[in-house]
Amino acid sequence: MQEVTAPPRTAPKPKPEKYKSSSELKKRLWRNKLLYVMLIPGVLYFIVFKYLPMYGLIISFQDYKPYQGITGSEWVGMKHFSRLFTEPDFLNILSNTLILFGMNILIYFPIPIILALMLNELRGNFFKRFFQTLVYLPHFMSWVIVVSISFVMVTMDGGIINELLAYFGFAKVNFLLSPGWFRPMYILQVIWREAGWGTIIYLASIAAIDPGLYEASRMDGAGRLRQVWHITLPAIRGVIITLFILKIGSVLDLGFEHVYLLLNSMNREVAEIIDTYVYTAGLRQGQFSYSTAIGFFKSVVGLIMVMTVNKISKKIGEEGVY
Amino acid sequence: MTKKSFTLLLSSLLTLSMLSACGGNNNKEAAKDPGASAGTNTAAATDAAAEPEKPTEIKIMLPLNTTDTPPDTIKNEVEKLTNTKLTYQFFPADTYEEKLNSSFATGSLPQVTYLKNQTTFLQMKEAIKDGQFWEIGPLLSEFPNLNKLKPEILNNTKVDGKLYTLYIGRPLARQGIIYRKDWADKLGLKAPANTDELFAMAKAFTEQDPDGNGKKDTIGVVDRNELVYGAFKTVSSWFGTPNNWAEKDGQLAPEFTFPQYIDTMDFFKKLREGGYMNQDFAATSKTDAVNMFTSGKAGLYIGGSMQDIDSLNKDLIKNVPDAVLDTHSMVAGPDGKFAQWMIPGYNNVVLFPKSAVKDEAELKKILKFFDAMMTPEVANLMYWGIEGTHYTVVDGKAKATDNKELIEREVKGFKDSVIGEYETNGMYQSLNVLPGRIHAEELVLENVKYGVADPTAALDSATYTSKGVELQQIIADATYKYMYGQIDKAGFEKEVENWKSRGGAKIIEEYNAAYKK
Repeated sequence: MQEVTAPPRTAPKPKPEKYKSSSELKKRLWRNKLLYVMLIPGVLYFIVFKYLPMYGLIISFQDYKPYQGITGSEWVGMKHFSRLFTEPDFLNILSNTLILFGMNILIYFPIPIILALMLNELRGNFFKRFFQTLVYLPHFMSWVIVVSISFVMVTMDGGIINELLAYFGFAKVNFLLSPGWFRPMYILQVIWREAGWGTIIYLASIAAIDPGLYEASRMDGAGRLRQVWHITLPAIRGVIITLFILKIGSVLDLGFEHVYLLLNSMNREVAEIIDTYVYTAGLRQGQFSYSTAIGFFKSVVGLIMVMTVNKISKKIGEEGVY
Repeated sequence: MTKKSFTLLLSSLLTLSMLSACGGNNNKEAAKDPGASAGTNTAAATDAAAEPEKPTEIKIMLPLNTTDTPPDTIKNEVEKLTNTKLTYQFFPADTYEEKLNSSFATGSLPQVTYLKNQTTFLQMKEAIKDGQFWEIGPLLSEFPNLNKLKPEILNNTKVDGKLYTLYIGRPLARQGIIYRKDWADKLGLKAPANTDELFAMAKAFTEQDPDGNGKKDTIGVVDRNELVYGAFKTVSSWFGTPNNWAEKDGQLAPEFTFPQYIDTMDFFKKLREGGYMNQDFAATSKTDAVNMFTSGKAGLYIGGSMQDIDSLNKDLIKNVPDAVLDTHSMVAGPDGKFAQWMIPGYNNVVLFPKSAVKDEAELKKILKFFDAMMTPEVANLMYWGIEGTHYTVVDGKAKATDNKELIEREVKGFKDSVIGEYETNGMYQSLNVLPGRIHAEELVLENVKYGVADPTAALDSATYTSKGVELQQIIADATYKYMYGQIDKAGFEKEVENWKSRGGAKIIEEYNAAYKK
């Protein structure tokens, strides 16, 4: 019905709008004035906390001295960037970062989806709520606590896991210090802490699916699994892709705290990532220009990744995030 | 989406944005204060007629070693005694380095800036040379009390031969062993006279069931992921390893190029392989190490200060009521000689940023406050608290109240900021009751006789200042890998070469150039 009435209404419009556009605009602005007022805090937030600090990027091309400030510091061009790329450990650090990121995408990313599908299949509101809360909880623990708990569990000196191994006649394993165990420990901790929290958005979008679709499919004789495959998953496909693109954007940004807590002299070769490197080289030694350059590099890589993935997702007919 | 990508770009970006956010804290702190000390203001106003001098306003930033910011109890008293209006900005010691660097980067350091320790001081050296802090050396003679500070320690804190800082004094050599005397007595062991006996003690504590429960559930040494303030450096000095640097063939060379360093690594390797120390020490935090000791699981706590015996004892007897602790430090090396590494006599220093202190007149006013802090009256107040509330005087010594929580809450924050030491500021020494602690105090004095100083303490190396911490990581990693048997001597030497090629050679060169001067 709308489609029938719409064309004639929009067709003659362009002319008058061009004709008296400024007064029309004013009128519209005035009519929605409250909405524009509500916009102000948001815009201010982005200007103050996101756009203005960009000015600070300048120092990655300088030898920044706090006392002399940005205007007084010496310009050195790409010095700090070339130092980063020629650092002997750079390739190692970059590949460590990428491997952990890859594990995040391949192993962690699907888990909240599966968990959400499973939670959705739970019948009975009480159980559903109960389990939902249970899997959310770890998210509220800090990494320090998560890492300490696992330290206590896997330490060689009386940790429960090693005691069990010994009890069943296996050799004890030095989980904390062997480079081979760093990545599994890392990803298990990520899953334990974040998987439940990650289900929130999926559950919300599953809740929005028209129940009629399920009814219809049941009529046609579809079982539970078929329903998940043909109705639930396609319905949340858009959400999955959006979250995936956002995740890609944080490619070099794994979160410093977690890795730093797991890092020690014995597993550094696999555990040092860009974030922890920035911490030791930049903040702890006060090399502001250098750490800014690394931050700049990270952001540019993130930006390129998001744009690429977004383009791909549009090519294959999905919406993308912009 | 442009907005989104920029957000990504920026959010991960800059230390800067983080910095400005942190900077906000200061203002809050400062804004809160005028109200809090309004009392002192009015008091000062009534005095104004008789005494025209207004209280000096001073902002002080310092690390906090407790969980909560102390109340104003002590501060108010100090303000009265020194005619000042103080604003303390406490920041947790754990993250103090970041706070310091970020405040510095944004030019928001207050008039009085405490650093965190010697390492942060080394890192500030470049900025100090840049002229960003006031030189105070020439002014010191104007202040009778500050002038008492020990010249040899002041000398250790000089930068390019000039003095910029006041120091917080610490005994030169507090390192040693804290051990379970009850276990040793039971097994018929004496305090270890040399490194072999130390090893034997760790072995006996592990294998001979010293807690008598019939189970093999004890270990000898408990250590943590720290090569300097953990067990390693203390034991290495007993083996005769130099304190960071020493002369070798007429040139200064770093400690890890000396054979004694390798010997020490072998010692720990053997301890670990035998199961006589905690297997995860390379990943054990201080808290976990202390817990292991105070739960009665381990017999030897090496490294750190022997004066820690008080707090270790307090927690240990909660778990093992009949445990007895003692301290020990005279452990001879394989050549039969005693040696103890020494710190440069301070554990922290204070700087006065030019960005906050406008002129020399203002600097002098601030120094006047510190001069007053070095009188017994103020030093006692800040170090011990209020007499009768936080401590009592017994035999001319201060006896802290049994209410440790009260001291922790109200005094500890200020205690760590007192300039000088009791010899120079005249404050009370502590009255000790625990026999192990009394023994520790004797040993601290004894240690100095065999003390080995770090020859580079007063020297400068630009490369060390800018890359030292990063490079030291190479050596620390290699040391742990050697102790865990992952690399051998050749592998360790390869890492030393790696250290040299990435800037270490330059550090050696620069220190030697400065040494010859």
